[in-house]
Amino acid sequence: MKRSFKEALVSGEFLLTVEVTPPKGTDTSAIISTMQNLKDVADAFGVADNPRSVMCMSPWAVCRLILDGGGEPILHVSCRDRNRIALQSDLLGAASLGIKNILCVSGDHVSFGDHIDALPVHDLDSVQLLGAVHELTHGRDMAGHALSGRPEFCMGAVANPESDPLPPQFLKFQKKLRVGVDFIQTHPVFNLDNLAPFVNEAREKGVKLLAGVRFLVPDEVSKYREGRYPGLFVPDALLAEIEGAGSEKGVEIAARLIRAMREKGLCDGVHISAPGHEEKIPDIIKAAGI
Amino acid sequence: MIVASRKPFTEIKGFVDGCKKVLIVGCGTCVAVCLAGGEKEAAILASQLYMASRLSGHATQFDKATVERQCDREFLVDLGRNVDVAGYDAIISMACGAGVQLLAEVYDSKVVVPALNTVFIGVAEGLGVWTERCRSCGNCVLGETAGICPVTMCAKGLLNGPCGGTRHGKCEVNPDVDCAWAKIYERLAARGRLEDITRIIPGRKDARGMHPATAVHPAYRRIQ
Repeated sequence: MKRSFKEALVSGEFLLTVEVTPPKGTDTSAIISTMQNLKDVADAFGVADNPRSVMCMSPWAVCRLILDGGGEPILHVSCRDRNRIALQSDLLGAASLGIKNILCVSGDHVSFGDHIDALPVHDLDSVQLLGAVHELTHGRDMAGHALSGRPEFCMGAVANPESDPLPPQFLKFQKKLRVGVDFIQTHPVFNLDNLAPFVNEAREKGVKLLAGVRFLVPDEVSKYREGRYPGLFVPDALLAEIEGAGSEKGVEIAARLIRAMREKGLCDGVHISAPGHEEKIPDIIKAAGI
Repeated sequence: MIVASRKPFTEIKGFVDGCKKVLIVGCGTCVAVCLAGGEKEAAILASQLYMASRLSGHATQFDKATVERQCDREFLVDLGRNVDVAGYDAIISMACGAGVQLLAEVYDSKVVVPALNTVFIGVAEGLGVWTERCRSCGNCVLGETAGICPVTMCAKGLLNGPCGGTRHGKCEVNPDVDCAWAKIYERLAARGRLEDITRIIPGRKDARGMHPATAVHPAYRRIQ
């Protein structure tokens, strides 16, 4: 039987997780195909929660499908669309479906998505959500009421080492470590020097850090430049490198970044995202020598 | 102050189509300062409605009056002493949402409709420019956040630090707007008070979750 993600985290091996985006509709064939192609090499599949505020299938449903297919899912839990009652309720539901790994995120703002008039909730922020999850795992809800049966979660949080300015981002990252997490997953990183303070701090607390790696698509250069992907800051030199190139350039860059991160010991693993281009992920993994 | 902006003319006109006599009531406080619903704006709206009525072959009468504050009952009662409110088919209120509702309550047999959209509590930035500063959450954190409100100034209202979208110190939602947490950090660093934001702020009560709210000054509690 395949090891759990929690077991993978303590294995000391270089970790690999892959991001999958739930379908906009009920056709889950693409996501199942991605999972089947990669389940033997990926330690887990991060299932995004309505990423970029584009409405799609509930991530917990996709997580269950991944479990059914023999994969290990990480449920992304966004504070954007649910208040504290719904968040806790969904977490209990996720636990009952066998979902063990969660990643607590604030959520991309609704203005990036396809329902721009939706009301963003943000009743809790990601730090407060982590606190709520701890309460659940200790057998009580965040209002202090006892639970009948308590969930167990391997908890993750995100940080963006490319934020500018960095100190306020680092402060929030430290709060997440203080609340307590098992792993940190970063936004895509291109300037590798930015990873060092994050990975050092995480390791000091015994927390694993997965560096974000994004497959860059030449056709999307203008979107990267215009900031259409929240938290994705591609340096001008890389934009120039991929502009007008073929998709193999995106594979080459992602693999190059992974090799460099690994060689310099700047992370404990990587989280690869290639939204809409998941078929390129095996090429990236191969080229990176993972 | 409360900042409002005028509704589209066609929407306001639609509220009073078919009326023969309409009273437009301006408000002399917040919405007068933000050039949306004061005496001058009431006069402009009356002229526009008058012209539109005549152009469509009607002869609706549009009168105007402005009170000091529509959110204060005594000024609305005074309005009734100076104007024959009963003689109008409809009243257009140019106040914020609070003023419209109190006017509708005081003259509850009348059709009262709004001419403005109430948009936020804010400050004047310069001529004709106002920006939001307060979401009236009822649980002010400004003492910890260098006088910059993360509930209002952060697009996600995050209380424990920024999201991952800050770029060049700007908000991911609008690159013309400062990231609230970048500004909070910068100001506290300059004051040598960064410890103010190291506390983890727990999930908290937000007054916006429980409305309509009531506030009673302690000195008046017994009377209430």
